[in-house]
Amino acid sequence: MWAQVMEEAPRFFGYWNLMFLGEALLGTLALSWLGASVGFGFGFLFAIGRHPRLYGALPVRILATLYVEVFRRIPFLVKLMCVFFAFQLSGAQVSLFTIALVTVILSAAAFAAEIARAGIESIPAPQWDAAEAMNFGRWRTLTRVVVPQAWRVVLPPLFGYTVGFIKSTSIASQIGVMELTYAAKILNTRGFSALLCFGTILLLYFLICYPTKRLGERLEARLAPRRAS
Amino acid sequence: MGEVVRRANADQGAAHAVLLGVSYTLIYSQVTGHIPYLLAGALLSLQLALISFLIGWAIGLVNASVLNFGPRAARLVVRGYVTFFINTPLLVQIFFIFFVLPDVGILLSPYAAVAIGMSLNAGAYLTEIQRAGFNSLRRAELDAATAMGFSRLQLVWYVILPHIVKALYPPLANQFIIQVLTTSIAAIFAVEELTGRAYNVNSLTFRALEVFSIVAVIYVGLTLVCSVALALLGRWLFRVKARII
Repeated sequence: MWAQVMEEAPRFFGYWNLMFLGEALLGTLALSWLGASVGFGFGFLFAIGRHPRLYGALPVRILATLYVEVFRRIPFLVKLMCVFFAFQLSGAQVSLFTIALVTVILSAAAFAAEIARAGIESIPAPQWDAAEAMNFGRWRTLTRVVVPQAWRVVLPPLFGYTVGFIKSTSIASQIGVMELTYAAKILNTRGFSALLCFGTILLLYFLICYPTKRLGERLEARLAPRRAS
Repeated sequence: MGEVVRRANADQGAAHAVLLGVSYTLIYSQVTGHIPYLLAGALLSLQLALISFLIGWAIGLVNASVLNFGPRAARLVVRGYVTFFINTPLLVQIFFIFFVLPDVGILLSPYAAVAIGMSLNAGAYLTEIQRAGFNSLRRAELDAATAMGFSRLQLVWYVILPHIVKALYPPLANQFIIQVLTTSIAAIFAVEELTGRAYNVNSLTFRALEVFSIVAVIYVGLTLVCSVALALLGRWLFRVKARII
């Protein structure tokens, strides 16, 4: 096996294959980062819609909670298929990338909502009372009291969450979105040995996930909320 | 013709969905007959989740002990294993097992390849979880017990075990739920678990959206049942106060 891999390697790492893999890498990064960012925006909205002292009127709270609980309990592949067929049957002409992106956003919103909620809940009760006593409205409480303190709790887990979606997007290869796993499958069907194809993308995934995760851990150690002693 | 189709759909109790301005008629009646078949697939998903969880748990237990007491070289190997498996996608790991191992003469069935991949993947996460659980044991706790004249056996039974069980139960239960959701990847390797059976029913009926929405609901129900059962079990066995949902 090694002899064959060695023989193939120069051809595998030729100019066109590298461009192809580079494009695939960009696909993975765009899908996961864009999806995770937009998803966080929605997740944040869900989180403030779930908090009774922010925008959590009862019906909003029920809907937001339902969304979060349901979408975290459906596997990514099943969500992807639902979105894929929903777009297909609706007759809308959208690219496969858009379909995968919508799926990432839908599930990212649910996970981000939990992260943002943990941040909002890290604000101690007396501060809510103080904000109320000073006649702060919901918006002012959010922007002047909650966000300036909660970001320390919210930021570190977002890195792990992004890594989760970098990994989940490998499933988008199932519908033929141009990303790393799909590229590996194509190169494999072109006759390159499986070890080279899948080994290379495993390495690429590792190279983008590991630094992201480490950065999150560093930040977590650095931003750990100082306990009032 | 359109009129006839619309009548036929109306007869079958069709639900009308409007998506992006284009209407599509959801017909669940053609799929409901396949629900028992899908539910049997859910049992297979549960089985796969349980197998991979238990093997991963054993791997994690050994690894966590190695990280705490093992020699340096073994610790490095375990660290490498955990870091690698946590930072790469499970799907690609299984692709690797399924397509690369045959080159060195190891032929695996799809089910075995998925089970091995999921176990190794779960093993990495469960190593982290259990290491953190063991490390949450505080020196002062042990000192206090020793000061009160606990024997070694009593120390393990009355202090160490209850502490570790309480610290570990919630994250372990959580990992099991993740394991259940992860089994859907097996469908990509043509294992006939819940999602795999959804593909089958879809190719029989061509009612894709109906099939996959039903499957989504089954997954939500399945994990909810597991969550509630695990939370109640934890309360009853170990008095772990976990959130039920």
